[in-house]
Amino acid sequence: MENLIYKLKTEIIDVLNLEGMKPEDIDENAPLFGEGLGLDSIDALELIVLMEKNYGIKLKNANEGKEVFKSVKVMAEYINEHKTK
Amino acid sequence: MPKLVVTGIGIITALGNGKEVTVKRLMSSKSAIGKLHILQTKHNDLPTGEVSYTDAELKAFIGMPSEQRSNRTTLLARVALKEALEEAHLNQDIPERVAFISGNTVGGMDKSEQYYADFKNNNRKNDYIGMHDCGACTEMIAEEYKGQFKLTTTISTACSSAANAIIMGANLIKDGTVDIAVVGGTECLSKFHLNGFNTLMILDQEVCKPFDAQRNGLNLGEGAAYLIVETEASAQKRNVPILCELSGYANSCDAYHQTATSPNGEGPFLAMQKALESSGLKPEDIDYINAHGTGTPNNDECEGNAMMRIFGDNMPPISSTKAYTGHTTSAAGSVESVISILALQHHFIPANLNYKQAIEGHTFKPSNKVITDMSLRHVLTNSFGFGGNDSSCIFSTYVPSHQDQNVINPHHHPVFIRAASQISIQKPLGEQWFEHPLFPNTANCDSQEPDYSKYISPMAARRMGKLFKRAIVTAMDVIQKGGQEPLDAILTGTGLGCIEHTEKFLNAMLDNDEECLPPTPFMQSTHNTIGSQIALHLKCHGYNCTYSHRGTSFDSGLLDALTQLHLGNIHSAMVCGHEEMSHDYFNMLGKIGYWKQGETNTETLRQHNTPGSFSGSCSLNLLLTDTPSQENLCAINSFDMLYKPSEQQLLEALQQCLKHSNLSIDDLSAIVMGLNGDHENDEVYLNFANKSCPHTPIVWYKHLFGESFCASAFGAYTAAIMLQRRSIPPHMLYAEQASNITPKHILVYNHFQNKDHTLILLSSC
Repeated sequence: MENLIYKLKTEIIDVLNLEGMKPEDIDENAPLFGEGLGLDSIDALELIVLMEKNYGIKLKNANEGKEVFKSVKVMAEYINEHKTK
Repeated sequence: MPKLVVTGIGIITALGNGKEVTVKRLMSSKSAIGKLHILQTKHNDLPTGEVSYTDAELKAFIGMPSEQRSNRTTLLARVALKEALEEAHLNQDIPERVAFISGNTVGGMDKSEQYYADFKNNNRKNDYIGMHDCGACTEMIAEEYKGQFKLTTTISTACSSAANAIIMGANLIKDGTVDIAVVGGTECLSKFHLNGFNTLMILDQEVCKPFDAQRNGLNLGEGAAYLIVETEASAQKRNVPILCELSGYANSCDAYHQTATSPNGEGPFLAMQKALESSGLKPEDIDYINAHGTGTPNNDECEGNAMMRIFGDNMPPISSTKAYTGHTTSAAGSVESVISILALQHHFIPANLNYKQAIEGHTFKPSNKVITDMSLRHVLTNSFGFGGNDSSCIFSTYVPSHQDQNVINPHHHPVFIRAASQISIQKPLGEQWFEHPLFPNTANCDSQEPDYSKYISPMAARRMGKLFKRAIVTAMDVIQKGGQEPLDAILTGTGLGCIEHTEKFLNAMLDNDEECLPPTPFMQSTHNTIGSQIALHLKCHGYNCTYSHRGTSFDSGLLDALTQLHLGNIHSAMVCGHEEMSHDYFNMLGKIGYWKQGETNTETLRQHNTPGSFSGSCSLNLLLTDTPSQENLCAINSFDMLYKPSEQQLLEALQQCLKHSNLSIDDLSAIVMGLNGDHENDEVYLNFANKSCPHTPIVWYKHLFGESFCASAFGAYTAAIMLQRRSIPPHMLYAEQASNITPKHILVYNHFQNKDHTLILLSSC
C-alpha cells in the first residue's frame, strides 16, 4: 500500500504538471480538492484518465470521481480494490 | 444610431438544408439527433447531430467540381451562405463595402486528422496543409464569389464564435466601415473535438435533455448559418425585403473558470443585460428566449440562474433547440439566430425536447411542446463559449423608422496606444531591440522566456503552455506600464492558438486510437483560451473576442477595438497578438514554402530572391485608450482593412487614411512594412511603396522578430516605440538612408499573401 501511495503521488505530480513538487510534499490524508492540494474539476478529469490508463479503471462520470479523489490514500485504496492491470 | 436589419438568412444543420425544412421539422418537434454515418470514429455510438450529406453531395449543392479540394467546414458554410445571399439579392454580385465575418474553431481539422500521417511522412496531401487553420476556411469561402468583399475576418471564440461575428459585423456597420455585413459561423464534426468533448465528460450517451433535472451532457452537432445584416437605409436603397431587425447585442466575459460557468451566471447575466440595454428594451418586452441550453449540468443551471436574475418571475417562454440540431459549436450562434428569426417570421416557439422536470432552484419551466400561432415581437438568443465567452443577440419584428434615424455619425473619437509589452526573439518585456537588437539566423526561432514564476504561481502554471504564460505575463506587464485604468475589452489575435496543445491532443488521439486522452491539451487547443486566461487573471468582465484570420489576426482585433472605441462602446482595450510554433506544424509549413532553406540572416532576407522566411513566435499586448495623456506612446489616426484590393483601391485607401488626418504623402516620416525575405511577399510591399511613397524611408521589423500569423503586431508596436522615442534606429531601415529622422507620422502596411491588407496611420503625441 505504501508503495502504491508513493507511486500514485509521483503519477499525480507528473500528470497534473505540479512543477517543483515532490511526493513528500503531498499529505496522503489531505483532500486533493479545495482546501488541501487545491485541485479543480479539470484535474479530476486528468485523474480519471490516469486511473484508466495506468490501472484499467473506468469511471462513468465525473461525479464518481468526487468520492474516489477524496485523498491520495482513498484513491490508492480504490485502485487496490478495482484495478484490472 | 442607424437601425440594423436582416435581409437574408441561410442554414444547414442535421435538420436539413435550408430554412423550409428547418421550420417544418421544428414545427413538428422532430429531432435530428442520431447515429453517425459520415464521420468515421471509434465513438460512433455517441448520439450526434450530423448533417446527412457527404462532402460530395455538399459540393454538388454549390456546383463545386467534385475533384476540387476543400474541407467540410468550408462546404457547409458555402451551402448556407448561398441561401442567405440569394434571399438578400446578393448572389449575382457582391457590391462594394460588404464585410464577411465568419466564425469557426475546428477549421480544416476533418482533413488534418485524416491525412496527418501523410503530412508528416510524404507529400501526397500537402494541398490540405494550408487549409488547416480557421482563417483558411474563411478565405476559401470568400474566394468563390463574384465581386468582392471589402474585408474578411475570422472569429474563433469556440461556441460563441458565430454570435460574435454578428456583433462585430453590426459594429462595423454602425461605425460606417461597411454598409453590409455577411456574418455567421460554420463547423463540421471532427474526431478531434468529438474526442475532446468526450474527455471533458460532458457528452450525453443519450439524446440531450436541456434544462431537465436529469440532464447529463450535450450532443455534438454540425452545420452553418449566415445572416445578411445592413442598415435599414441600405436595404431600402437596394429594394430588398426586410426580414427583421437586429435590435440589440452584447458580449461579456464570465472571467470565472476556463470551462465552467460561474454559479450565478455573471457572464451570461451581463451579456443579456447589456444586449437589452443596447436595444432599449425592457426584460418584459422579450417574448421568447432561445437559450444556449446545451444540456450539460453546469451550463443549464448557471444560464437558468442568470435568466432568473434578469427576468425574475416574469420569465418569457424559453426553449433550447440543441435537442434538434445538437450543439453546432462555432455555428451555434448563427444557427440559433436563424432559428430565432424563423420563429419571429412563422409565429411559433420551438419545443424544448426531452424536458420533464425543473432543475433544483429553477422557478421556470421550458415548454416541451411547440407553441404555434404565437405573435412574437422580440426574441433573445444566447450563445456561450469556453472561457466564459458569453454573447446575446436580440431580433425584433421590423418596424419602419423615420429616415433621420439612419444617419451614421462619422465622428471618431481619437485613440491612443498607451503602453506595450512583448515577448519575442528579442529581449523580453522591454525595448532593448531599439539599441541592442539580436539578429536571428536560424529558420525556427523561439522567444526568449522571462522568469514566469515572478508572475504566475506554480499551481496556476500547471496546465499552461508557453503561449499562455507569455500572454498572461505581457498582459500584466502592459497593465503595469499603462496604469490600472478599468479595462473595457480584451481583443486577441491568434492564427493558430495553442498549436502545441492541439498537436499534443491530435497525436495522442491518433497514437492511442481515440482512447485514454488527456482533457487539458484539448481545452487549451481552443483559440480563445488565451483571451479568456487574460480576462481570468485581470478579472475583466468586458468584451472579449478572438480573431484567427491568418496574417491579419492581430489586425482584425485592432479593427474591432478601434471600431468600438470610435463608437464609444468602450474607452480602453487590450489588443494582443499571440502565436507560437510547434514541431509538426513548423515542418508541415516548411513543405509548402513558408521557411527558407539553410541559413537565414538579415542579408539573405534583404535579397528576397527565394521563397520563405524564418519562423518567430509572437506575444504582444498593446493597451489602447481614448484618453489623451503625455504618457501615451502615439495616436492611431486612421486604419483601413481591405480584402484583395486592386492596386488602385489600395492607393485610394491610403489617400483616404491621409485625408482623414489632414496629411499628405510628404508628411510620412516612414513606412513600416512586413518585409520578410520571401520573394513574392516582398514584391507586393516594395511595389506598393514604390507606387505610393517612393521617397519615404522603409522600415522593416520581421528581420528581428521573425514571421508568424501574428507577426504584424510587431509592425504597429515598433512604429509606436519609434514615435515615442522620436527616432528610427539604423538597423530598422530596410535600405541605406539618412538615419537621423525624427518621426512624426508613420504608415504601417501589412498584407498576407496579397489577399488581406491593412493600413495603419500612427502619429506622435
